[in-house]
Amino acid sequence: MNKKLIFSFLAFSITSSLFLAACTNQNDAVTTSGEAASAGNGAGVAQETPLSEQGLTKLQLARDITKLPEQAKKRTDTIIVGLTDPSGAFTPYFHQSGYDGNVSSILYASLVTVDDKGMPIPDLAEKWEVSDDQLTYTYHLRKDLTFSDGSPLTADDVAFTWTLLHDKVYDGGSLIPELHIKGGQAYKEGKAESIEGIKVIDPQTVSVTLEKPNATALTTLGGEILSKAYYGKDYAFGELDYIKKLHENPVGTGPYKLEKFLPGQEVRFVANEYYYQGKPKVEHFIYKTTEGDTLQFIETGEQDFGGFSATKENIDKLTGLGFLDLLPYTANNYGYIQFNLEYAPLKDKAVRQALTYGLDRKTIYVDTSQGAAQIANIPASPVSWSYTEEGINTYDYDPEKANQLLEDAGWIKGADGIREKDGQKLTLHFIGSKSKATDVFIAVAKENYAAIGVKLEAEQFADFNAQIAKFESGDFDLVSFSTPILTDPSDGVVAFVNGEVKGYDNPKVKELYEKGLATSEIEERKAIYKELYQVINDDLPYIFTSYKKSLYAFNGRIENLTVSPFRGISANIHNWELK
Amino acid sequence: MSSYLLRRLLYMVLILAAASLFIFALYALMPGDFVSGNLRLSAERKAELREIFGLNKPLLERYGTWMNQALHGNFGFSLAQQKPVVTLFNEYVWNSFLLAIVSTFFTWLIAVIIGVISAYKQYSIFDTLVMIFIFAAMSIPSFFIGLFLIKVLAVDLKWLPPGGMTTTGSNATGIAYIREVLDHMILPVVVMTLLGVDSLTRYFRSNMLDVIRQEYIRTARAKGLKERVILYRHALRNALLPAITLVGFELPGLFGGSLIIEKIFNWPGIGQLYMQSFTVRDYPLLMGFTMFIAILTVIGTLISDMLYRVADPRIKL
Repeated sequence: MNKKLIFSFLAFSITSSLFLAACTNQNDAVTTSGEAASAGNGAGVAQETPLSEQGLTKLQLARDITKLPEQAKKRTDTIIVGLTDPSGAFTPYFHQSGYDGNVSSILYASLVTVDDKGMPIPDLAEKWEVSDDQLTYTYHLRKDLTFSDGSPLTADDVAFTWTLLHDKVYDGGSLIPELHIKGGQAYKEGKAESIEGIKVIDPQTVSVTLEKPNATALTTLGGEILSKAYYGKDYAFGELDYIKKLHENPVGTGPYKLEKFLPGQEVRFVANEYYYQGKPKVEHFIYKTTEGDTLQFIETGEQDFGGFSATKENIDKLTGLGFLDLLPYTANNYGYIQFNLEYAPLKDKAVRQALTYGLDRKTIYVDTSQGAAQIANIPASPVSWSYTEEGINTYDYDPEKANQLLEDAGWIKGADGIREKDGQKLTLHFIGSKSKATDVFIAVAKENYAAIGVKLEAEQFADFNAQIAKFESGDFDLVSFSTPILTDPSDGVVAFVNGEVKGYDNPKVKELYEKGLATSEIEERKAIYKELYQVINDDLPYIFTSYKKSLYAFNGRIENLTVSPFRGISANIHNWELK
Repeated sequence: MSSYLLRRLLYMVLILAAASLFIFALYALMPGDFVSGNLRLSAERKAELREIFGLNKPLLERYGTWMNQALHGNFGFSLAQQKPVVTLFNEYVWNSFLLAIVSTFFTWLIAVIIGVISAYKQYSIFDTLVMIFIFAAMSIPSFFIGLFLIKVLAVDLKWLPPGGMTTTGSNATGIAYIREVLDHMILPVVVMTLLGVDSLTRYFRSNMLDVIRQEYIRTARAKGLKERVILYRHALRNALLPAITLVGFELPGLFGGSLIIEKIFNWPGIGQLYMQSFTVRDYPLLMGFTMFIAILTVIGTLISDMLYRVADPRIKL
């Protein structure tokens, strides 16, 4: 009997864990990024209700700040923000979890950063030059920069950081080693003492030469800077284990310094007096670890700021609390359904278009999520500078057109109502995650597709890795995914050219992709991406599905709060004030 | 006895060796690895990382490396958390233990008292009410009770904190710190006790019912002993005997953490850590944790057998 007890507990914990895993994934999307495109600081819109049919469109100020819970009122020099699960590896480039990335973005400033449209702007570097051949990038540092321990930051530190990431045992996720810096490979293989392409010109100037132009290099190289004196003290080639001991004692350049890390509970920060833009106005900042629902902590005042899905229900509930400012944002990524282009019927563009026309995306993504999404038609989010609607087909739900396209492509309805061609039936095997949104998709899509003579068979996976494994085995026709946060427009289209989308080979797309990376002139790139999006929008290697809309709810006493869709709260946190 | 112990220890080693192989195979057969879920990485970089992490080596070789390290006291390095697995256990497991030990204590205390009374007064109103309550408690999912209590006691009435182990940003030390933790423990302990108490109460009740019908109880009554003496000295002791085996089985549970309770109450325990590691396929941590539970289970079983022998001289080992 006792054994049975234990086994049933095990079985129970496994099923429940899967359910919880799905929840976590949803939370990630909400907490890790954000957008504040049209928010501004909300001055002058105090009484106006920005709640329209599209949901919330701009900052909505707190209606009744007196309802603020006692606990929040008592805090006068601390702001508390929820974060799913920071693990303690706070050194940039060396953490494996995105949550640690959120922490390190507060602790470290970058050389170059991006504005709310993703355009590069100065941070630690006051200016930069790109050579005419697009191969050499020269960064000029601001004067008198200091690390949080008071030591000076110079070009040597920049060169050290870039070199360190080329070590052969470097196991982090930085893209710098993939930029092909001249001499980088030789260093990695141990054939050179230093990297040929990295040159320290004077203490304020450093340059780097690439083997091949790459427009993302400016911001990729323009990342966080590690102190050579601190992180490089024990460095020997091929030996990086020592860095792991420094993870919990970071020396940074950002607005805040680490005060204390309580695993599973909170990360405490204190204002950095050496921050180059001046010491932040709020002395203390805390990332509180919140695994599950954050609403209970917002309601009781234990937390000042939280991310939610922008459903009407959430908007009403949060507005009803009275003391919260609500800030809507659209995440800078997109959701899509990928076709298996190695499956013969899907090789035909007309079939892919028919399947897009024949799918009621508005019902699936917008209506059932109570407005917390917007239909996508191109591989870029509306918050990106490259976004366009010019010359883009919106593929509004049109089953008649879908039927016509299939008919013209030679797919004829059989006796059972399912279309066939050359003896092959048009059935599609869909794989997706085990979630409420996928349940909705399957229910509606089955009906939609039945109406155009296509049979949909669905399979769901409770675990993301299991879904990936199935996807990689090629045993699917349609698969539902969403991209990670996109920093550069090229991130949104790279899958179409690097072989990731198997069976897709469009020379025009490849050509435009290369052109888009060959220049760093934004206006030029805009035109290139516009053309590229038009090609992809017509070709449809994916059914583009939706952009998620979320909202930030925060204590109405916090002023100057904005959130960057690319950099989250770290972009402006030094300006936050607590009134 | 000592030869029995020796034999048992030998079995334990064999069982653990088999368990380690089983655990390793289980995780190795799961689809995906630490690198595969990261959509940002290119295929070449993924291959490079698998090389660095040793994920591309043959299974048996990986098992050998793992066992070899474990025997040298090194339980690996968590890929996702970038810390030694043992350090992580130490940071999280005691928080789980704290909840578990307190709620186990209350579970047993309440279960024994209610079990005895409802057995003694079988089919009384008290007994009926208890049984109804027990079945009700068993049928309601823990997350529902947990969320309901948070809503009522923490959010609406503000009597208790809504979650966590301490108040965020608190600098309390000493007595103030202990009070704070106690405050935060009340809700999770109540829910855990509520969930644990039902099956255990039924267990004690049925044991007690068996014992009360024994002839030696009738003899005791015939001798004119007081009802209280009969109940507590003669009946209860014998009814508790089988329960002693359960003590050993509680051992893994004390350190294993509770996924759901920790999630709902935002408790910084090992259950949560395990869950996050599972989604990202952090094998060293997953295997280390499962092995840790396996060891505790084996030790727990041994303790049960020993206790049984101590409590009941009729059992020969």
